[in-house]
Order: sequence, then structure tokens, then C-alpha cells
Amino acid sequence: MDAESNRAKGPEPREDKQMEGPDLESVIERARGHDAEALGEIYHRYVRRVFGLCRYMLDSRERAEDATSEVFLKLQRSIKSYDGRIPFPRWLLRVAGNQCIDALRRQRRGRQVIVEVEDGATVLEAASDEQSPLAAVMSKEDRAQVRDVIAGLPENYRLPLVLRYYSELSYDEIAQQLDLRRNYVAALIFRAKQELRRKLAHRSK
Amino acid sequence: MECYSEQMCSIFVDGELAVDEARRLRDHLATCQRCRELVDALRAENRVLGESLHELPEEAADPVGFPRLRLSRVWGDLAALAAVLALVSVFSAWVDKLRIPEALEWLNPFSADGLTNLIFNLSYYFAHGGTAMLADYAAVVGGLFLLLGGGALLLGRRWRLHQPGLRLLIVLLTLSLPSFALERRHAEFVTVAANETVDDTLLAAGNTVRVEGVVNGDLLVFARTLEVRGSVKGDLVSFAKRTVVSGTVEGRIYNFSQSLDLDGELGHSIYGWVQSLRVDNRGHVGDGILVGAGDISLEGEVKRSATIFAGNADVSGTIGRDLTMAGGSLTLTNTARVGGNLSARVRHMKDVNIADGASIAGKRDIQVRVRKSQFTRPRFYLHQAVWLGAAMLVGWLGLALFPGFFQACTQAVGSGWRSLGLGVGVLAGVPVAIVVAAITLVGIPVSLILLAVYLAAIYLAKIWVGAFLGRMLLKPSGATTRRDWLLGLLVGLLILTIVGFIPYLGGLVRLAMVCLGLGAFAWQLHRSLRTPIAA
Repeated sequence: MDAESNRAKGPEPREDKQMEGPDLESVIERARGHDAEALGEIYHRYVRRVFGLCRYMLDSRERAEDATSEVFLKLQRSIKSYDGRIPFPRWLLRVAGNQCIDALRRQRRGRQVIVEVEDGATVLEAASDEQSPLAAVMSKEDRAQVRDVIAGLPENYRLPLVLRYYSELSYDEIAQQLDLRRNYVAALIFRAKQELRRKLAHRSK
Repeated sequence: MECYSEQMCSIFVDGELAVDEARRLRDHLATCQRCRELVDALRAENRVLGESLHELPEEAADPVGFPRLRLSRVWGDLAALAAVLALVSVFSAWVDKLRIPEALEWLNPFSADGLTNLIFNLSYYFAHGGTAMLADYAAVVGGLFLLLGGGALLLGRRWRLHQPGLRLLIVLLTLSLPSFALERRHAEFVTVAANETVDDTLLAAGNTVRVEGVVNGDLLVFARTLEVRGSVKGDLVSFAKRTVVSGTVEGRIYNFSQSLDLDGELGHSIYGWVQSLRVDNRGHVGDGILVGAGDISLEGEVKRSATIFAGNADVSGTIGRDLTMAGGSLTLTNTARVGGNLSARVRHMKDVNIADGASIAGKRDIQVRVRKSQFTRPRFYLHQAVWLGAAMLVGWLGLALFPGFFQACTQAVGSGWRSLGLGVGVLAGVPVAIVVAAITLVGIPVSLILLAVYLAAIYLAKIWVGAFLGRMLLKPSGATTRRDWLLGLLVGLLILTIVGFIPYLGGLVRLAMVCLGLGAFAWQLHRSLRTPIAA
């Protein structure tokens, strides 16, 4: 796989349509002009999603709350850099992801959050006894279990997984945020899913 | 052609495979059943992952409610406050023996200075719906009564004080233990010099207490003026008339002063009941603020939420999270910054002034508290009906289980002044007794039982008073059957409930009701304990 040339298409963004009223653009426009009400509206619409991301990425509710309020406090300035090329929710989640990674980095006194380990991970292949992909139909309780298990995954699996399937970032974006190579991110995501399957299978036993 | 690896398929499903590679894989899928199934399964897996993650965990359901100081916590703090006030009286007796009464004169309700203070506080309390809280409180106790049969577990939960309150209680209780490492200082001027370090908790009483050095433990002060210019590593509990903190307090501040000025560094939160609170622009609060005050001015920085009950609040500094305010008026100047939601409960819309330059990250929720608004909501009537029903049920249960005692209590309410006077004494005195009993450690079970009886009696007070009132109206004389008693109770409770909603007067009526009922209960209890076999 060539890291540079392969971007077939970005991940299919799955935006909740009901969250995006037709006036989102105007709200963002007003927010750019420091309109407090518009900023409040954005907060109201997205605080849940941003908090969700922070909660998945950080290890305590307290810190997730700190990160969330930080994201919205900084939004007054950072919203100027939003150019409308990607949907706003995705942009916001990217900002929030960066905020969380900054927080994690600060916690490690500036060290990188996930360190690449040369263990042949990039060429990892599924062994024959691995669990097969998760069943498509899952009940609500199962989903709660999936969340539980994800929350319990080690950081190097949890972060890429959440960034990919919650924030819906591309491998490149994740690689950039975590300061890793793209191939390594791909391997981590794959291994994370395998780990997830293994743990879920173990639970249901 | 050879099949693709699962990892390759997974990357393909994520839409991250290089264009030409992806095309080749797609071609392969057209011919290979096994790979097609794998890709479908992986797609389904991605969907499950996305959906599971997007259904946020329950704790995220209300992220807007960042650790706001909920009502229950307020109750915990109020309980702690009551305990503190009781302890103050114990301490003041002790301090009195030390012949420095002047420092505490403003707390002594029998002096002119203290009386002014007490009147201010009481009038503030009544004007801001304090007695309504008493009724809510009674309602909570009533609910507990119904749940009592349901399980002692719930009861235990209600009694557990929330952390700040509990901490304060523990601090105060441990302070009272003789074995505790504690340094006591009392003089006209108590000074911890700049080069001095106090390793224990310091209890200082005097006219002026000045800390310029370091106190490694907690600092507990009774004084006219307290100045902290040095640093306190633990918590600061201040009963000074005027408190100024320009140094550092690393713990929390529990403040019951007339005024508190903070222009230094505070590690955690401020809890208190003050006439005027000012966080200077150099002041920094590491956690949140929970205070009731006449005037509040926040010019510095508060890291987390501020919950304030104030006559008048000015904010020109930074609040990291939510600002919750209830009271008279609120002003946010151009320099004010609120990192979360702003919610205010005021009487008139014009009482809230937010400058254009003020920035609020979250929602603005300004509600005008119209006193009558609650009467227009059907839920209010439902609540009243439920509480009335609950009270009737409790009354009926009480009458079925302890017929003589309940009727006698009802009778005892009729003694009027005796019950009222006794009730005031019991209302104020029992908390003191509870704390005193708890201090001795051995007495903790006794104090818990006493607390349970006390809370129950506060709730039952309205039943006795209601029954008495109803009987007085329906049948001034004559024998009372159980049915008459219950009918009287219903009528009496209805009247009391309605009268209770008259502004100001209602509060007084409720207070009088609690006192009368408590007094009657205490008197009856006293009598039935004296006569070995209760009638």
C-alpha cells in the first residue's frame, strides 16, 4: 500500500440530518461575527456530540467536561478558520479530537500519546482462529456492551477507533492528529476491531 | 486469483484503499463469494460500531448539566450549615470563657451587633423564599416517610451528606476531638508571622487574626477581622466579621462572615453565607463557588461553575463553566466570560444586564420568577394533591398505630404559646444536641436516632396542627372519633396549604406550624415518658 497515493474516497460521512437545520450556515456565519446567540446555538446543538467524543477519549468525566468547555470557549476564535469545505460537525469533532489529544499529551508532559512500535503490525494478517466480524444485527444491550468494551480498550486502540467511527475522520486525518504514519493507523484500527471482537466473544461466554 | 487479506478488506470497507487497488478488489469481489461475504460482514460491523458509539453512554445524556450544584447538594450544605451554627454556639460558650467576647459579639444574637446581623440574615432568608424551602424540606421528609416501609436503604441515602458538607463536618468533628493535633491561639491580635510555619491545624480566636506565614493544616478562625496574606495548605473555616484572603488557600473556604474579599489564590471552592462577597481581579478560585450573599462581585477568575443566591451580583471576570444565579439582580460587564451556560432566576427581566462584550459560551437561560406562575401549572395541583394524600395517609397510619399519642398531640397544640415556645426551642436546640451527641463518638447512634425523630417530627407537625385546626373549626367541643379526626385533618391541611401560599405571611405561618407541632410533640413525648404507661 502506498501511503501517499491512496485515497480512494474519504469515509462516508454520516451526519445526523436532524441536527443540521437549514439555517446551520447562517448560524455559523453569525457565530463568526461573535454573535453570542449563534455561539450558544452551536453549543446547544453539538455539546452532546463533542462531550461524547471527549468522554470516549479521556479517562474521566471530569476531564471530558473540561475539554468540552475548552472546545466551546476556544470556538469563538477558532470558528474563523472553518472554511466550509467539510461539514461543520465533522470539523468540530476534529477540533475536539485535537483538544483531547492535547490534553492527553499535556498529561504525559509533552510525550506522544501513541508511540509506534515496530512489531510488524503494519503487515499483520488475521490468524485463522480470529473471531469473525461482529454480527450485523445487534440489540440495544449489545450496543451498550460494545461501548463498554471500547471504553475498556487500551488507548492505542481506543483513540483511533473512536476517531474513525465516532468522529468519522479519514486515516490521514487520524494519522495527522496522533502524529503517526498512515499505515500504522490502519493497522491499529484493524487490530482494535479484532481486540474488540475477542473481548465481546469472551464476555458473551 | 488469490483472495485478499481481511485487513485489506477492512481498509477497503473504510474507504481508505488506493484507487487502483480498490478497483482490483471490487473486480475480485464480483467473482469471489467468500470475499464478498467478508466485506459485507465488515461493513455491517462498521455500522454496528458507528451506531453503538453514537448512542452515547448514559452519563453523556445530559452533558449540559455539567456538575451543577444540585438541590440535594444544597441540602447537604444546609445541614452542614445548621451543624456549624450549632457548633458555633458551643464554641462561643467556650470562647466566652476565654474572655474575648468582643470578637464574637456580632455573632451573639443577644447583643445589638449580633441582632442586626441576625435580622439581616433572617430577613434575607424570608425575602428569598427561605420558608418555602422549609416546606420543600418537609415535603422531602414526607416522601421519606412513605418510602420508609420501602427500604431503609433509601433512607440511608438521604442522610448521606454530600461531599463538601461532609468534609466540613468531619473537619469540625475531628477538631473537637482532644487527641487531634491542633494548635489553639487566642489573644487580641493573633499573628502568624511571615517567617513562621504552623504545622498543625490552627484554631485562632481574637479581635484580629493575621496570617502572613504558612499554616500547613486547616485554619479555623473566630475573629472580627481575618487577613490571610501568607498561605494555608488546608481548608479555611472563617467566622470572622470581615475576611480578606490575599495570599493562598490551597483547600476550600467555608465562610460565614459578613464580608469576604478574595484577591489571592484559592485551590478549591468557596462555600458560604455572607453579606458581601468579592473576588478581586487578582483573585483566582480553582474550583467553583456556592454562596448565598447580599452582594456578590466577581472580578477575578473562577475555574468551574458559580452558583450564587444573591441580592445583587456583578460579574466582570471569568467563570470557566456555568453561572447559575437566583435572586435580585445580575450584571455582566464587557469583560465577563462564562464558559458554560448562564441561568438566572430573577423577578424582572430588567434586573439582568448583560453587556454586549460579555461572552457566554453556552445557553442563556433567564427566567423571570413570577410568584403566581406555579398556580397556573396543572403539575402544581397534582403535587399538592399527592402531598395532601400522603399526609392523610401518614395521619391515618399514625392514628391507627398510636391512637392515644396522636390525639393527645393534637390536643397539645391547643395550648398555643406553650407549644410555640417549646417548638422554637426544639427546632433550634435539637440540632445542637445532635451535634453534641455526635461529637462524643459514643453518642453517634443516639444522635442518628435523634435526627430521625427530629426529621419525622418536623413532617408530622403539620398533621397535628392541621388536625387541631380542622377539629377546632368543625367541632369546637365534644368527643372525637377517628373519622372526625381524619376529616378535621383534611380540612386543616387544606387551609394550611392554601394559607401557606400567601407571600411572606405564608412562610411565617409555616414556620409557626412547624414550631407548634414540634412543641406539642415534645410536650406529649415528655408526658408519656413520665407516665410509664402511655395513655
